[in-house]
Amino acid sequence: MPAETHTEQAPLDRQQVFELIRDQLADILETDPSRISEGSSFSEDLDADSLALIELVEALEEELGERTVGFRIDDEDLEDLRTVRDAVDYVVAKLGAG
Amino acid sequence: MPGGRRSGGAHGARSGAAPGDTAVATLPVALDAMGGDKAPAEIVEGARRAADEGVSVVLVGRPDDLGDTAGLGVVPASEVIEMHEDPAQGVRRKKDSSLVRCAELVRDGAASAMVSAGNTGATMASALLRMGRLPNVVRPCIATPLPRLGREPAVLVDAGANAECTSAMLVQFAQMGAAFASARYGVADPSVALLSIGEEPTKGNSLVKETHAALADGAGVRFSGNVEGRDLLPSAADVVVTDGFTGNVTLKALEGSLRFIVETLFTVFGTDEGTRAASEVLLPHLLPIAAQLDPENTGGAMLLGVDGVCVISHGSSSATAIRNAVHVAHELVVADLVGRLAAAVARTATAPAAV
Repeated sequence: MPAETHTEQAPLDRQQVFELIRDQLADILETDPSRISEGSSFSEDLDADSLALIELVEALEEELGERTVGFRIDDEDLEDLRTVRDAVDYVVAKLGAG
Repeated sequence: MPGGRRSGGAHGARSGAAPGDTAVATLPVALDAMGGDKAPAEIVEGARRAADEGVSVVLVGRPDDLGDTAGLGVVPASEVIEMHEDPAQGVRRKKDSSLVRCAELVRDGAASAMVSAGNTGATMASALLRMGRLPNVVRPCIATPLPRLGREPAVLVDAGANAECTSAMLVQFAQMGAAFASARYGVADPSVALLSIGEEPTKGNSLVKETHAALADGAGVRFSGNVEGRDLLPSAADVVVTDGFTGNVTLKALEGSLRFIVETLFTVFGTDEGTRAASEVLLPHLLPIAAQLDPENTGGAMLLGVDGVCVISHGSSSATAIRNAVHVAHELVVADLVGRLAAAVARTATAPAAV
């Protein structure tokens, strides 16, 4: 998102980050959001494969890039994200550091 | 923007457009000029032939590598996702690759369709991540033709996109395969069969049995029951459904078998004077049949379930195959394949669970 078109928005709290990830995942996996909790494992509970995770990453970067210029999820960090909680923690940390 | 959904895709951009919208049909087909064993020379030649025959094409790739493009439009792309690269990582890391740029042209309404003979997985990933999935589609699938001499081919789906499937996915493959058979081959009410190890509904693994029940229960397709592998050539059903692992194994087994038969025939023809004389009588009758079986003439495989037309050509595609693939891509835009797919899945959409 070009800096000159970036608009300042209120920071997301942890719950909002979780809801964003949950809703994106539900859309990608064509499942009900109520089935996704912070403790859900991507592979074991949600059957999300590597392609689904990259869909999630790209969607988050697009969504959060509007709030934080240059927001990006590093590819090297992807393999450490095993659960929804891992993803929420990661994004919260990234937003806080940005 | 929801993950996987893009409102600016070819279908989204044409929301409300009637089937065969001429405005979209006049957009060029985006051709990955860098993908395939014979790229870029054979790709450019195939594009030139298609353009000479009235189909608008734009080449996507490194301009300096393309040579004489005979006046065809070129969209620069500095990177290439190689055949050996991980598809999803390739799309993610090479944002200026010819494949990604092709998919973006379709997404942004600058191209009507995309064609590539490059990395199949990366082609799928590019289409999925840039064009997005159609609403309600759990996973896109690959449809390929199964030859039926003297008539339109049958359709095998999924030919390799998804190694692990759920019954909900197979039901959607059936719906999309039927819509594709209608759009591509003009079949009015395609029959759909489920590939299994026996004709009886009780035969097959748990996935097949569960899918059989779902299709028999009414999934918006004309379900004709199970079919065994030995009955695929020719297939009585217009569409044959299976998971991507089985489909890919099946497809390659069929291709290998046909190639074996052809090679054996030519070996026999060359045996002695008598067989050579016989071949002169037989070949004029056999060659047209061989042409129907030749993958170069089928127009490629189709990715079903993304918000745009995406043709996947064989990696060894020559100019002839590319020319045919471009024509097929254009024809499917005119036939509003994407609209038909969206309608087919939407008709029975009950938010199928991914697990």
